[in-house]
Amino acid sequence: MGTQDKRDMASGDTAPVDQSGGSDPSLLIEMKGIDKRFPGVCALDQVDFDLRPGEVHVLFGENGAGKSTLINVIAGSFAADGGSYMFCGEKLGRLTPYHAREIGISPVFQEFSLAPDLTIGENLFLGRELASVGVLNKGEMRAQAKSVLEDLGFDLEPHARVGDLPRAQQQMTEIAKALLREVRVLILDEPTASLSERETDRLFEIIDRLKSEGVGIIYVSHRMAEIKRVGDRVTVLRDGRKIGTVDADAVSEENLVEMMTGRTFDAFFPKIEHRPGDVALATTGLTTKNRQVIDVDFSVRAGEVVGIAGLVGCGKSELARAIFGLHEITAGALMLYGKTITSPTPSQMLKSGLCYFPSDRVAEGLSLSRPIRENVSLAALDLADFASKGFLKIGSEKARAAAIVDKLQVVPLDTEKQVEFLSGGNRQKVMLSRGLARDINVFLLDEPTVGIDVGAKTEVYNLIKEMAEAGAAVVVISSELPEVLHLSNRVYVMHRGYLAAELTGEDITEANVLAHFFDRDHETEETSSKISEGSGP
Amino acid sequence: MSASVDGPDLSASRSHVWFFGFFAKYGFLPVILIALYVGFGLVEPAFFSGANALNIIKQSSYLIVLATAQMFVLLTRGFDLSLGMVVSMVSVASSLVMAGIAPNGEGPVIIALLAGVFAAVAIGAMAGAVNGICVAYFDINPFVVTMGMQGIAFGLATTLSGGFPVLDIPVLLNKGLAQGAWFGVIPPPVAVCLIILAASYFVLNRTVFGRSLYLLGANSRATEVGGIPWRRYNMLAYVICSSIAAIGAILITARAGTGEPSLGGGLVLQSIAAAVIGGVALRGGEGRVIHVVLGGLLVTVLSIGMNLTRVDGFLQEIVLGLVVVGAVFLDRLRLKIRL
Repeated sequence: MGTQDKRDMASGDTAPVDQSGGSDPSLLIEMKGIDKRFPGVCALDQVDFDLRPGEVHVLFGENGAGKSTLINVIAGSFAADGGSYMFCGEKLGRLTPYHAREIGISPVFQEFSLAPDLTIGENLFLGRELASVGVLNKGEMRAQAKSVLEDLGFDLEPHARVGDLPRAQQQMTEIAKALLREVRVLILDEPTASLSERETDRLFEIIDRLKSEGVGIIYVSHRMAEIKRVGDRVTVLRDGRKIGTVDADAVSEENLVEMMTGRTFDAFFPKIEHRPGDVALATTGLTTKNRQVIDVDFSVRAGEVVGIAGLVGCGKSELARAIFGLHEITAGALMLYGKTITSPTPSQMLKSGLCYFPSDRVAEGLSLSRPIRENVSLAALDLADFASKGFLKIGSEKARAAAIVDKLQVVPLDTEKQVEFLSGGNRQKVMLSRGLARDINVFLLDEPTVGIDVGAKTEVYNLIKEMAEAGAAVVVISSELPEVLHLSNRVYVMHRGYLAAELTGEDITEANVLAHFFDRDHETEETSSKISEGSGP
Repeated sequence: MSASVDGPDLSASRSHVWFFGFFAKYGFLPVILIALYVGFGLVEPAFFSGANALNIIKQSSYLIVLATAQMFVLLTRGFDLSLGMVVSMVSVASSLVMAGIAPNGEGPVIIALLAGVFAAVAIGAMAGAVNGICVAYFDINPFVVTMGMQGIAFGLATTLSGGFPVLDIPVLLNKGLAQGAWFGVIPPPVAVCLIILAASYFVLNRTVFGRSLYLLGANSRATEVGGIPWRRYNMLAYVICSSIAAIGAILITARAGTGEPSLGGGLVLQSIAAAVIGGVALRGGEGRVIHVVLGGLLVTVLSIGMNLTRVDGFLQEIVLGLVVVGAVFLDRLRLKIRL
C-alpha cells in the first residue's frame, strides 16, 4: 500500500485520492469520467476509478449502484459511453473481453462462466485450449491444470465434472480459471459468498501472494470484516455515481453505510421497538424432505422482528418455504398460534394469517405481464373484498388495490399498469401489498430488499417497523448482514440446514454472526464424509 | 390507453398518444383487416356485396369458436395440438350416436340431436381432461401431451367410422344448425358463436377461475405462492378448450351434413393462427375475446378473398403461414410500443 493514501480520510466523505492532472503510468488502471447508459437508466455517471499495482481496491455499494457495470466495463464486457480508460498508462480503445484477458485483466464474476458438463480441467482451458495443428493437446492441458490447482492449494480434481461440484468448489474453479494465465488485474465479485471459512482463508492467502507480486485486485464485497481484512482502499458507489474513495483501515462501518445510502445510519435503519408477546410461529425439529432444513427449532413472537442469516444455500430460505408449504416436511412439528399444522399449504397458511414473500420476485412473486391490481389481489381472491362464490368483484377490487397502492406509495399509482414496467423497488412494494390485502400476522420476508434502490429499502424497513410495532411477527431472511443485524430483536444463524446459533441483544454483532456461518462441527463432519466417499481405490 | 392517464398531456400530442394507445391495445389488426377488405373489394367488386359480407361473418364464426377454445389453453402458456383431431373424433362419434337413435331422420329426431350434442361435449370434455391432467398434474409438456392425444383421437375417429363419412344423420341437424336464420335474422353458427364469446368473456373477466388463468399463464409459480389452486384451473382450461371445440365440431358436422373423420385436418393451425394473429400471446397470460374475433375475421377474409380472386390453393397455405409469422412479429413490435 502506498503512503500517499494514508492521508486523513476519517471523515469518510468525498476524499479525493489522485489529483494529478495527467495520467500516471504507475497505475494499472486509471478511469476518468466513465459513463454508461442503458435504456432508461444511467448505470454509471462520470465515475473515476484507479487501481495501483499490489493493492486490493474494494468496490462497495448497494445492489444497482453500478459496481457490476463498472467491473464489466473494466473487463471489456460493456463498452463505456464516455470517459477515458487507461491501462498501464496506455489509452484503451474498444476493449473486448478477449482482449482484456490478453492484456492480463482477469474477472471472476458472480455468475459463473463454467460449462457444467465439462470437467474442471476442460473448463480451465475453455476457449484457449492448447492445441497443435488443430488437435487438442490433452495431456499437456491436464498437467497444467493439475499444477495450477496444486499451486493455488485448492482441493480440486481436474477430471471432476463441474456440474457435480458444490457451489464453493465451482467458485474455486472459476478463480483458478482466472489465474491460469499471467494476471495483472484480478477482479473478484463477491468471491466469498459461497466459500467456507477455510476456503476463504485460502483465498485471502492467495490474494496476499498476488499483491506481493504486484497484481492489482478489484474486490466487490458487502462484508465489513472482509473489507477490513483484505482491503486497502474502498470506493463507494451510489446510484451510478462515485461517492468517494477512502482508506479501508480508517473508515468505520457507519461511515461506509452512510456513504452507500446517502442517509445517516439511524435514518437508514429505523429503531424498532420490539415488544415480544405470545409465540406466533414455532417449529420443533423441523426437517424437510430435500434435507435442506434439518432439525430446526425456531420461533418468532408477535411484535418482534427475527432475523435469519447464513450463507447462500444454508437452508434459511428453505425453512420459510417449508413453513409456508412450498417444501415437503418429513419430520418435526409446526405450530401457528399454538395450533399444530401437519402439512401446510400456501392457501391454508394465508388463511391462517401467515404469508411468505419470496426472494425472487420475477420467478415466483409476481405476474409481470398483469396489472398491479391483479397482483395486489393475487393472494386474496378467496376474500369477500375481492370475490364471492367464484365471481370477481371488480369495483371493490379496484378500490382496495388503489387504497393499498396509495398507502405504499407505489409509482405509478395507476393500478392498471402492468407490473413489468415498474422498478425493482415498486415491484417489491406490489408484492408486499399482499400483506395488506388480507389479514396477515406473520410475515416471512425472504431477501426483502434484494435488487431495490436505497429509497425503497428505507421504505421497506419502515414498513417492517410499522408491522412489528403493530403486533405482527416478522421474520427477515437476508444475505445482507447489516439488515439482519440492525432490524432484528433476535437473530438465528443457519448452516448447512442446521440452526447454528441464536443470538440476542448485545450478542448480535457481525463477528458473532459470521463466526457461525461456518460452524465447524458440521463442516468437519461433512468434509470427513467427503473424504471417506472419495478415498476409494 | 394507459399512456393517457399519465398526466396532463399537451393537446398537440393527444392524437399521438391515442394513436399508440390504440395499437398497444388492439395491435395493427383492425387496420390490416379494413385494408384487406377494401383491397379485395377493389380487385373483385363481388367481394363488397352484402351476401359476401354475411358469408364472411358466417364462415368466420366456425373459426372463432375454435380459436376461442384454443385461447383458453394459450392463456395458460399451453396449446392444444389435438384440437383438430378431437373435432374429427367428436364429429364421428356424435354422428354415430345420432344415426343410431334416428337413422336418416327416422325416429325420435330431437332426442337424437340432444343425445348427439351431449355425447359431443362429454367426449370433448374427456379428451380435454386427459390433456389437462397430464399437463397440469404430471407436468408433461403440452406439446407432447396434445400431440399424443392428436394421434389417439385420429385413431379413434378413423376406427369408429371405418374411414368413411357417417352419412345417415338426421337432416334436421343441417337445417337447424347450419341453414337459415334463428329468429329470422341470425345464422345459427353466428348465434352459437356469440353465445360462446359472451360466456367466455364473462368467465375470463368476471370469475376467479378466469383471472387465475391469466395469472398462472403469466407466472404459475407466483400463483402457487399466492395460494391459488393453479393446477386444477390449468387442467380445467384444457377441459373447456376441448368442450368448446366439441361444440364447434357439432356446428361443422351440421354444415357438412355428415360425420367426417377428416374434418379436423387444418384446424389446429387455423385456430392457433386466428388467436395469435388476433393478439393472444403465445407466452401466456395475455389475450382477450376481442382478439380472437379480430383474428378469426382476418383469417376468414384472407381465405375468402383469395378464393374470390382465384388465388391458387397451395399459395393460400403459403400466405396463411406467412401471416402467422408476421402476426407474431407484429406482436413483438406491439410490446415495444407499449414499453
